[in-house]
Amino acid sequence: MKNDKKPGFNLNFINTNRSYFFLLLILFCGLFAKNFFSAYNICAVTGNGSLVIYLGLGFTLCLIAGHMDLTVMYVSTFASLLCLGLRASSGLPWAVCILLATLSGTLVGLVNGILVTKFKIHSFIATLGMQFVVKGAMYIYTGGAELSIGRDYALNEALNGTVGPLPVSLFFLITTAVTFLLMAVLRYTAFGRNLCMIGGSLETAWLAGVNSSLVTTMTFIISSTICAFGGALNGIYSGSASITMGEKGISPLMIALTAAIIGGTSIYGGKGSVVWTWVALVAIAFLKSLCKKTELQVLVIAAILIVCIFYETLAKYHRDRVVGTRPNLRLEYLNESRK
Amino acid sequence: MPDKKAATPQNTDAQHSDSSAFSRIFNKLGIYVVVILLILLGMAVSGGQFFTSGNIQSILEAVALIGMVASGLIFVTYSGNMTDMCIPMEMAFAGMMTVQCINFGFWAALLAGILTGALIGLINGFMIGKLRANPIIWTWGFNLLLSGIVRVVWGGKQLYADTVAESTDFAQRSAEQFYSISRTYIGGIISLMAIVMIVMFAIAWFIHAKTAFGQKLKIIGTNYDVARFSGINCTATLVLTYVLCGVSSACGGIFYAALRKTASYENGTGYDFSCLTAVLLGGVLLSGGKGSVVGAFGGVIAYGILNNILSWVGLGTYEKYLVQGIVFLFIVWLNTYSNRKLGKA
Repeated sequence: MKNDKKPGFNLNFINTNRSYFFLLLILFCGLFAKNFFSAYNICAVTGNGSLVIYLGLGFTLCLIAGHMDLTVMYVSTFASLLCLGLRASSGLPWAVCILLATLSGTLVGLVNGILVTKFKIHSFIATLGMQFVVKGAMYIYTGGAELSIGRDYALNEALNGTVGPLPVSLFFLITTAVTFLLMAVLRYTAFGRNLCMIGGSLETAWLAGVNSSLVTTMTFIISSTICAFGGALNGIYSGSASITMGEKGISPLMIALTAAIIGGTSIYGGKGSVVWTWVALVAIAFLKSLCKKTELQVLVIAAILIVCIFYETLAKYHRDRVVGTRPNLRLEYLNESRK
Repeated sequence: MPDKKAATPQNTDAQHSDSSAFSRIFNKLGIYVVVILLILLGMAVSGGQFFTSGNIQSILEAVALIGMVASGLIFVTYSGNMTDMCIPMEMAFAGMMTVQCINFGFWAALLAGILTGALIGLINGFMIGKLRANPIIWTWGFNLLLSGIVRVVWGGKQLYADTVAESTDFAQRSAEQFYSISRTYIGGIISLMAIVMIVMFAIAWFIHAKTAFGQKLKIIGTNYDVARFSGINCTATLVLTYVLCGVSSACGGIFYAALRKTASYENGTGYDFSCLTAVLLGGVLLSGGKGSVVGAFGGVIAYGILNNILSWVGLGTYEKYLVQGIVFLFIVWLNTYSNRKLGKA
């Protein structure tokens, strides 16, 4: 149909791909900063930003399903503490430590899922409570002390080291692999499509015969598992773990939320992509290296977040105002195009 | 009382099963039963020292700030918007503004702080009432923006009233007056903060039970669309709701800044969670449209006594998190469960 072709500048295209434009903008601004594009800086920035990428993935997954998971940050911190603590106390091999730490995340995700699906508590409130349970458990486990990797530098160096000619660390490569794996799960499996469906419309999903309780529980489990895995790896990558990890300056949870929304994940559920979140988080990591002062980082990130939420809200407001006012809009359109 | 009329049909329903009778009782004034049980537990745990004036004083002081904030938060929860995540920054910002304006005199500084809270509430109310933003995500994001603004404007520093005040006699006196508001004791036991909290709850009770605004809010909280189609000005009502929440949070923030003698951007951290716990403990439903200010007051008291008992048992700040989280989840579950049993899911 010739009417489909819109002339000139397409705003919708920019809106859909806003995370890519955001990344390009940050990289362009990087041209004016000193040593911004050096291999060392890129390696450090992407490596340090990897933990937040895991949180962002988990958060996006829950947001697509129409839920919110506030526990992601504490789950990852707890996993990193558990991973380093197990290694120090019992000398298990790293693989077992990482596995056990990841399983702790799975457990928290299972509890979250049961609270949301069986006890019918709103996910925001349920995870708000779980956040404090995990926080308390964390303090009881460590007694408030900081755990360190000791002299086991082998895996730490492997994660920090670059692979081949690429200027990024192994940790970031693993993160990227997880992201694209998750994207494949969301796009090509029945589970992924069901996830999008229950986020878009729970009623439609029910009519289509989707077991929404199972899918929601699985979503929380996957989200927490990914965050725990990321947290365990980050503990090894940075060589130390403390209970206040990531609480200095801006909360990683807020960065995850910001990235999910900048990336175009709908705050009403049903739409979104983990790759967009990944791009937005890489951009935010570069942004953090661009402006060094914490205060400025908070302001810039918050301003971007608020602009995105405002835009989405306004768009929905205008959409809702049209609903019901002209019920035969499609017929009018067809009549006009026939003429 | 409109509540009694509403309870009559539930009475007949309740005879059918025990569980819904339990739910109904819990939803009414069950929280005061919990308060009495907690007091008995406290007497057992503390070994008779529970009713010493020092202990009552510390409970009231700990409760006062939460109570002030909760007296405004109850309207937001009641209107069906769950919670206001802006509370930490409303408190912190109001405290900062009060300390910054201390040179213009004590009362002008208080006014500046309260107006700050009202302005933040106004913006929230416009976004949520007029543009129908997602209440949680908007207030959460706005909280971050305010935190960024406060950090950039004051450079991430802490403010002290006596250093901000100029060396004139007037400014120094108002700074001293500012510090003293959290340390005034009436009759030697009850602090001024507790009195202010009770007065604020009385005002909240009046607004909630006796004015047209409270009735409108009940309809909005029960069903937004019905309220809109029956000709209620939802925008104005929700704006007023958030302004009330902002003002009460600002009051809490000012007293907090005076109590700690510093105003900084992290002043109100954690208050969003504890105030929500207190409000939910008092039987206000998360889905909105049900609950009472009297119940919420009981919730605040119960929360304070619970914390006090945990201290008597010997738990540190961090072990308390675990218990508080579990209590919170249990209360929310009971809240949702009783709601579903009454057929109001």
